[in-house]
Amino acid sequence: MEEMVLGLQKKLRVAVAWAQDSNTIGAIDEAVKNGLIEAVLIGKPSEIQKTCMEGRIDPDKFMISSCGNEYEASQEAVRMARNGDADIIMKGLVGTDKFLKAVMDKEKGIMIPGAVLSYVAAIEVPGYHKLMFITDPAVIPFPDLDQKISMARYAVEMAGKFGIEKPKVALIGASEKMSRHFNNSVDYAIMCKMADRGQIKNCVMDGPLDIFLACDKGSAVIKGVNSPVDGDADILLFPSLESCNPFYKGLMLFGKGELAGLIRGTEKPVIVMSRSESERSKYYCIALSCLMT
Amino acid sequence: MVLKTLNDLKKLVEGGPRKKLVLAAAQDQHSLGAVVRAWKADIIEPILVGDKETIQNICTENNYDISGLRIIHEPETDKSVEMAVRMVSSKQADILMKGKVGTSTLLRCVLNREWGLRTGNLLSHFALFEVETYHKVIAVTDVAMNIAPNLKDKIAIVNNSVNCLNNLGYVMPKVAVLGAVEMVNENMEATLDAALLSKMNQRDQIRNCLIDGPLAFDNAVSLESAKHKGIKSDVAGDTDLLLMPDIEVGNVLYKSLVFFAKAKVASIILGALVPIVLTSRSDSEQAKFDSILLSAAASKW
Repeated sequence: MEEMVLGLQKKLRVAVAWAQDSNTIGAIDEAVKNGLIEAVLIGKPSEIQKTCMEGRIDPDKFMISSCGNEYEASQEAVRMARNGDADIIMKGLVGTDKFLKAVMDKEKGIMIPGAVLSYVAAIEVPGYHKLMFITDPAVIPFPDLDQKISMARYAVEMAGKFGIEKPKVALIGASEKMSRHFNNSVDYAIMCKMADRGQIKNCVMDGPLDIFLACDKGSAVIKGVNSPVDGDADILLFPSLESCNPFYKGLMLFGKGELAGLIRGTEKPVIVMSRSESERSKYYCIALSCLMT
Repeated sequence: MVLKTLNDLKKLVEGGPRKKLVLAAAQDQHSLGAVVRAWKADIIEPILVGDKETIQNICTENNYDISGLRIIHEPETDKSVEMAVRMVSSKQADILMKGKVGTSTLLRCVLNREWGLRTGNLLSHFALFEVETYHKVIAVTDVAMNIAPNLKDKIAIVNNSVNCLNNLGYVMPKVAVLGAVEMVNENMEATLDAALLSKMNQRDQIRNCLIDGPLAFDNAVSLESAKHKGIKSDVAGDTDLLLMPDIEVGNVLYKSLVFFAKAKVASIILGALVPIVLTSRSDSEQAKFDSILLSAAASKW
């Protein structure tokens, strides 16, 4: 993650919706201090200033834009992105549903027409020998085939920005076998063939694979599974939000991981983080959105 | 081992014990001609079940020398079919062949739960073509039996055919799952099934073969065409077995090969305890003979 931050060149403008959140402001402050961004904090000026003071942060280094409620603040951030007044938008203390409603608004939002809205996260965890990209822990509950294909493409694109030219994509299941009891295995087989045929580009793909086969070379040897992913996955694509989300939270909590995640499918990067995320992870999200711009 | 011509099948039966072929409702000139010829060529040991007098008359009229052949007299068609099937299930014969009886009657007996030839597998049609423009024989399935196989059926059809090819000496036959295109297209069911079959093969859930698909017909049989499209495949251009998406495609391909490409063909029914020779009147004399030859080569009893 630090390597990613060091590679960043451009200074970009981040608009934060309903910004009076100490964690968010802390992360923004760090990014401003490091010269990655300049920030527009949208919300109630008095509360933003108060939050800054509490965190011993000088509010004058941010632009502050006044807004009456959390939905309006979200709309304002989206409007700024549309007009080119912001390069990146970020969720503050507003609920994710309200924030995304503004993002996805058919007329005033910033969705790429026809694109699937999904979430990709890069995870750094001491127990794995390299960065790992996961999708989707946050947006699509039960992705269908088309959504899974988009998820894979977004993750491959993100890995590419990290300089990984042909990432190994593991399509995660409970077992490596095809089974009519696991509908996802059907989607996975179809996706693998699409990757073979160049319909999903710039990656090596295999699935279904369980986490062991995806991330541990020894397991593949023991199980006798001959997989091009070879226990060396860069990307883990999960069958559902409810499998991906606990996986990443488990890594954060028990594996001492750090995460940088982004919404995909939008015209400009959109940062949405769980309120309980660490300041460090939030900072990495900002850096990642700079990388993806 | 790869077969270049249908005649190469002879190498597989030469030297071994002659397989016993039982012809059910044998009073049929077309079948008798082929059976007698195969007998004379030392490919099989025939047993004729049917109306003895009619059988003898047909043979006399057509100059088929059947002296020394075993004939079991049973004038009633249904009973003669039952008797023939029972001979196979009690291991007195290795191959079943249809004579003067409807296909449905024969199959009903084959599928009889008590004395039939059920294995629990789906029955499927297997055709082996020798066509001048391809560098070896090519098997095609299913062109005549299963109308619109679903994924489960296709797995069974592949397994039947691969098992047969293994018996013919192919250790790792190359199986192309045919589509209209080589790309996966969600609106084309055949391409989705092809992707699933490929993955099941990679995961050893379908064994003893190498599966790739979807492949369009040209990519399946022409390496140049596969290269042109940039397909990386161990199967493309060197296919041993073509799996058809449905009977319409299969039947048209089968007949185009025979009529336009002047292909030679041998075909049998698989999935029962033993190979079943089920030729139709419209098949050439040669095709009937080659089908018997194929059944003898594929018989593992």
